Amino acid sequence: MKPKRKSVETRYMERRQEFFDSMKGLDRRSFLKVSSAAMGAVLAKGLVPPHSFLPVSVAQAADASGEAPAFRFAYISDSHLYSRDLNDRFARALLRAVDDVNNLDPQPDFVFYGGDLAQLGQAHELDLGAQIIKNLKAPLKIMVGEHDWYLDMGAKWKELFGDPTYSWDHKGVHFVVLMSVMERDFWTKRGMSPMERMQTVAGLDNGVQSPFMVGAEQREWLKKDLAKYPNNTPLIVFSHSPLYKLYKNWNFWTDDAEEVQAILRRFDRVVVIHGHTHQLLTNRIGNIHFHGVLSTAWPWPYAPEGMPKLTIEMSRPDPFNPNDGCGDGEVYVHADGLVDKVYNLWNRNPMTVAKGYTASWGKACVPPKPNRPSY
Amino acid sequence: MNRKRAIHRTIGEAALGAGLLGALLVSWPAARAIADEAIPRGPHGAATMEYQRKALAKLLPSQDVTQAPKGFDPVVWAAFIPKDNEMTAKRVALGEKLYFDTRLSHDGTVSCATCHDVTRGFTDQLKTSEGIKKQLGQRNAPTVLNAVLLQTLFLDGRSPTLDHQARLPIINPIEMGMPDGAAAVKAIGGDTAYQKAFKEAYGREVNYEDMGRAIAAFERTLVFIDSPFRRFLNGDENAISAEARAGWVLFNGKARCVTCHHMNLSNPLGTDNRFHNIGVSARHQDFEGLGQRALKLLKEDPSESKLEELALNTPMSELGRFMVTKNRSDMGSFRTSILLNIGITPPYMHDGSLPTLWDVMDHYNKGGEPNPFLDGGMEPLALTEEEINQVVAFLFSLTDDRLAAQNQRQFEAQKAAAKASRKFRDEAMAFRKKLPFEDRVMGPKK
Amino acid sequence: MSSRATRSLAAILCVAVAGIIVAYAWSPPSSVAAEKATAKKVDPKAVVDAHMAQWKRKNPARVADWIKEEKERHKIQPPADNSHLLKGEQGKGHAYGNYTERDILTWARETEKLVVEGSRVFHNATLLGGTIGVSCDMCHPDASNTHPETYPKFQAQMGRVALLRDMINWCIQHPVRGKELAADDPKMRALEAYIYAQRKGVKLNYGKH
Repeated sequence: MKPKRKSVETRYMERRQEFFDSMKGLDRRSFLKVSSAAMGAVLAKGLVPPHSFLPVSVAQAADASGEAPAFRFAYISDSHLYSRDLNDRFARALLRAVDDVNNLDPQPDFVFYGGDLAQLGQAHELDLGAQIIKNLKAPLKIMVGEHDWYLDMGAKWKELFGDPTYSWDHKGVHFVVLMSVMERDFWTKRGMSPMERMQTVAGLDNGVQSPFMVGAEQREWLKKDLAKYPNNTPLIVFSHSPLYKLYKNWNFWTDDAEEVQAILRRFDRVVVIHGHTHQLLTNRIGNIHFHGVLSTAWPWPYAPEGMPKLTIEMSRPDPFNPNDGCGDGEVYVHADGLVDKVYNLWNRNPMTVAKGYTASWGKACVPPKPNRPSY
Repeated sequence: MNRKRAIHRTIGEAALGAGLLGALLVSWPAARAIADEAIPRGPHGAATMEYQRKALAKLLPSQDVTQAPKGFDPVVWAAFIPKDNEMTAKRVALGEKLYFDTRLSHDGTVSCATCHDVTRGFTDQLKTSEGIKKQLGQRNAPTVLNAVLLQTLFLDGRSPTLDHQARLPIINPIEMGMPDGAAAVKAIGGDTAYQKAFKEAYGREVNYEDMGRAIAAFERTLVFIDSPFRRFLNGDENAISAEARAGWVLFNGKARCVTCHHMNLSNPLGTDNRFHNIGVSARHQDFEGLGQRALKLLKEDPSESKLEELALNTPMSELGRFMVTKNRSDMGSFRTSILLNIGITPPYMHDGSLPTLWDVMDHYNKGGEPNPFLDGGMEPLALTEEEINQVVAFLFSLTDDRLAAQNQRQFEAQKAAAKASRKFRDEAMAFRKKLPFEDRVMGPKK
Repeated sequence: MSSRATRSLAAILCVAVAGIIVAYAWSPPSSVAAEKATAKKVDPKAVVDAHMAQWKRKNPARVADWIKEEKERHKIQPPADNSHLLKGEQGKGHAYGNYTERDILTWARETEKLVVEGSRVFHNATLLGGTIGVSCDMCHPDASNTHPETYPKFQAQMGRVALLRDMINWCIQHPVRGKELAADDPKMRALEAYIYAQRKGVKLNYGKH
């Protein structure tokens, strides 16, 4: 079935082709006057490669239909702080991320923190984190991760940041923040101390913990929260765990993902932005577009099985650069609720996963593949 | 008893004699050094071309230029010689003549040897170089010593080969100031000696591209890698002091230098040939603002024409490699410096802002200068003063034996200067009491 | 143990535990500002270790079965199956070739012990000798991305051809910020064993970057 409305990418390509066609009609002198040598090269080869334009340019091109992004927010995530006397590197990285976001011009509408502010959920770690992110110029919206929670089951977190589950509306988009790292009790029957429980959860590959989940209570809350929004509402859900099932061994997993996705199914488009995975990660299941965010502290390797097809893996971080594979980023939100996800990788060129990429199931706006393997 | 005393006295006298001789030998370079102060200097502070040629002849008696330098892996050496510029004696001789020829500059005062002075470590030991009409450039002149072993030339790597780089300063308006290659050809083309030399070297008329080739061929003979350190690597434990040995351990360990300053027998240069932002550009007033502006322009206009306009009208030099690749990851990045002969090529960094190697150590010890594009490998190192001295001792051991006199002079001069002032030292940062980016984010502590 | 001795021991343990609890309770409040205000600094690592020590004293039986515990926490590849050596008549007339089930069991068990010990060290910042609370599994869960099959290889940033243990030591010195281990240190041997074990089945490819 021929689409009634052309996407901004299609229109851009058509206009570009028109321009090149008109170029062919120029006489030699006029042609030479055209500035960019690149255009000449492209013409000479007769190529109009689809990935030769930066998705970022497309995203920002304010064209006639007004499909420019409506607004943007920044994100910082997974800082895993110890006390600064114990580990200066992690604190320094979070400071750097805050500095990055504070230097954005113009400032984003808000800054989203994706969870795992502390490493072992200790009060002084959370306090240090709160102290640092308090210096963000833009308003802060924060989400909890498992590292923040399992020492005292969220007591200190709630004291600092309030309820871990909440929602709000912003410029026509409905935002939901979930506490998606609930776990079934594995610690009581083992007689674990709070710190033992925390250290178990803190180990990504520790099989004693149970898989993450949202849980029945929160699913009920979610249903009620979404009840009054029509299906075409732009909807963005923040979650620490990915809200799908990627790799159980590392809890890149949400056990009740299907139930949560069922609740979200009626909407035209849903974007899930999640932490926990510390890598470039993209997925789409039906109407839900999933985007992972970077960590400031360290990168995770890619799971040995089950990687989503849409994910363009970042090349293997160089161990000789402690910041490689880490960073922060921005999310450009379009009027329809779909997003361009910008990964601001330190010491690398930024990577953008444009809305057109997930919208087209990976056919258009394909991000450039890295020149090194991801291992 | 008397006999014993007599023996002691003999031993004592022998020791005294040995001591005197030792003192004489040690002070001989210093004595020579005093004599070196009487070097005749010409425009822009360079030693006169005549003097330089004589000094060069002493440093480099004739060698077979068609072979790899002594002790150099011939397979690796061959990889550095371009196919269209094989080394011949004629080409090297032509290149040497051109290297010292001030006629190649617009006002006749500048030759390659002006800023790459034989008596000043084949650089000019100035912060930034001075060209025709006493104009000051924005970058520190890298040394020509061992430049053959680099993979790209210029501190931002915009030149792929030495042949390409060697002719560019001739047409740089601040450096030698010729309007174009044709003017350079005109300046020397009438000289019959040159006409003959070009014909014999390349079989062509005097031309601009061959000028670059010839100068490059000459520069390829300037391989100065025979340092005490190299002897140490080859097995002579005592070639360098205990302090320098400790410095070598730190270089590969706690001080993390080897991460970017690769140093091994296949690559003795001490550089990874890559480009890193270590924060030196960040000390320039408007670096960050310019950088963000440049990125914004590039986003708006991927054809780069707006960026090129900006480059013409503002000091974009500080953006370094970014201006060549337009990659955000290269913002404010410059090539990792060669470490061979580093002792005799102060001041340091792409803008010459660090006067001594102690200042260099202070810069790294505190993790460089925080800026949005800082290389993640820059970390506060917590090196103690003793450890800093050890690394500096190691660095001074990297100078070729033929340049030992200059090296010793520099060591003394830099040591004295460092004693007087260590502008870049920040112990709170170095020992991680304060964190990089902390002041920027949270405001300076009261 | 006599009941009297047991009670005495229990009493001593109680006092010790109580002492630790009291000492902890009396240490300054753990907010950053408060830490700075007091003269004595709380060492967070010591707090963590004290928790663990206290727990271990309460549950001595659990500590003894460390192999089972470690395997419960972390998936560890089993060593090769040698049971085929018991089949057929291979041992006949071969003095040293007469393998028994006991041999197979001993090989498996002893090999496993070193590998499991390696897993223990791999996942423990303190055992690694680190000073910043970083353990190997933070970047290498299940020893992923360690690619031991690519060594030996020349690593310019280490100035020489590196073996797996050289890379382990580099990681200990820099990301983990600890002291390098001697080549034959039991912990180094255990770490190597674990890393190789997790990469079971992957073809050797030395020199790959």
